[in-house]
Amino acid sequence: MNTRNELLCIWSAVLFVVVFTIGLWPLAHFLPAHAPTASAEDIAALYQARPWQMRLGLFVMMGCSGLVCAFVAAITVAMKRMENGLGVLTLTQLSAGTCGAVFLIVPCLVWTAAAFRPERSPELTLLLNDLGWIMLFMPFTTFVVQNIAIGLAVLGDRNAVPEMPRWVGFLNLWVAVLFIPGGFLTFFKTGPFAWNGVFVYWIPLVVFLGWYLVMFVLLRQGALKAARAA
Amino acid sequence: MSDNTAHRPPHLPGETGVWVFILGDMLMFAAFFIVFMAYRSEDVALYVNSQRTLNQHFGALNTFLMLTSSWCVAVAVEAGRADHRQRAQAWLVAAMGCALCFVVVKFCEYSEKIAAGFTLTTNDFFMYYFMLTGLHLMHVLLGLGVLCYLWFSLRAAPSADSMRTLESGASFWHMVDILWIVLFALLYLLR
Amino acid sequence: MPSILKLRVTWLWLLLIGATIVSWEFGHGLGFGDDYRLSTSAVLIIAFIKARMVILDFMEIRHAPRALRFILEAWTVVVAATLLIIYWQSA
Repeated sequence: MNTRNELLCIWSAVLFVVVFTIGLWPLAHFLPAHAPTASAEDIAALYQARPWQMRLGLFVMMGCSGLVCAFVAAITVAMKRMENGLGVLTLTQLSAGTCGAVFLIVPCLVWTAAAFRPERSPELTLLLNDLGWIMLFMPFTTFVVQNIAIGLAVLGDRNAVPEMPRWVGFLNLWVAVLFIPGGFLTFFKTGPFAWNGVFVYWIPLVVFLGWYLVMFVLLRQGALKAARAA
Repeated sequence: MSDNTAHRPPHLPGETGVWVFILGDMLMFAAFFIVFMAYRSEDVALYVNSQRTLNQHFGALNTFLMLTSSWCVAVAVEAGRADHRQRAQAWLVAAMGCALCFVVVKFCEYSEKIAAGFTLTTNDFFMYYFMLTGLHLMHVLLGLGVLCYLWFSLRAAPSADSMRTLESGASFWHMVDILWIVLFALLYLLR
Repeated sequence: MPSILKLRVTWLWLLLIGATIVSWEFGHGLGFGDDYRLSTSAVLIIAFIKARMVILDFMEIRHAPRALRFILEAWTVVVAATLLIIYWQSA
């Protein structure tokens, strides 16, 4: 067990959250989200306005998303301690979390394709834009499964000194519930359940980043505790 | 089984962690309620007219079922506290029965609406109607699972842990009841 | 099962059913003259009174640590007030 490496992976969370937010917000201007009701011309105009800035923002968002894998690994190592070995929940989390990282990277690549040739037909740019947003928010399933796995592992931790406090298990279960409305963007182009709506964009975004930071604190505590016990 | 709850010292029902979930859920639904009300205020006529198509009797029946199931769970907890485990299990079964009826009524109600041509995307009111009652229904189903789990957990000899588990699950179920109480008022009774 | 009647929660359940019926009436025409806004306000207020009853006596928050009771009472008051304010602004 290498505590330094473990802490390295845990601290990657801070880097990810900061860099991802910089890419999303001031650079790519994807906060708030484009309206699903925007016309092809409006969307094309967005991509044509400052393509280099858009490309940089997307590059940054995609570039730091690999760090999610490191964080997932850190959670895996903590869950190994909860389950006393590579239990099935630990493996579920590992695989679901890894899939989740993919769905942060691929939308950025799709949007990059749109920004790569902003002069193409607006209909095509609209298509790529739609695809990106759908790919970012709709795959709630891996995040839900990942969080449920963590929740169940925390609650099922029967060690004398639990790896994490029990409320974290319930927190993860609650976070899982909050990701579910993201899937409903498929039915709506306006309102709170559209991809720029409060229940699909704002709440999952805030919840995801908040969960990241809470888990960061707890993972760090857990790693230091395990190092002391070893 | 008399009620001697008057002078107990402060006691947290269930375990601390479950309240993170319950309060979080109540916060989320509070956001849903407020967003619903805000959007409603922008097009009151639409909402009032759409509300007229709702089956008020199903709504009222469901409220009765929710309240009754909550009562059954509360009685079950009292029974568990007095170590009348089988009686507690019986009351849990009664609660589960009410919950199942709730689910059946909901499906009847949904079928009736869909058959009449009202779906998730018909208009804003029906979007909220299906989304909010749908999310609530998911909680009812989850709650049914929790009640089942509580029934099984009562088979073992009681311990401090088992009472806490019973209270945790019961608290979750009562939350589901509270959410329906507000939803019934918002979706069926506003004018 | 007469011992059931001795339970506080049983009386509460009956009260909740009663409150529901009253609420129903307010939602279906029982009113303060032609002003449906007062009836609807009554519906909302009764709903949150019912919620509070479930919170305090079914959830047993009446005997819970004060912090938790405060949070739940605050939830009831804040959500009810917000809904009423939004309602009155548009009605």
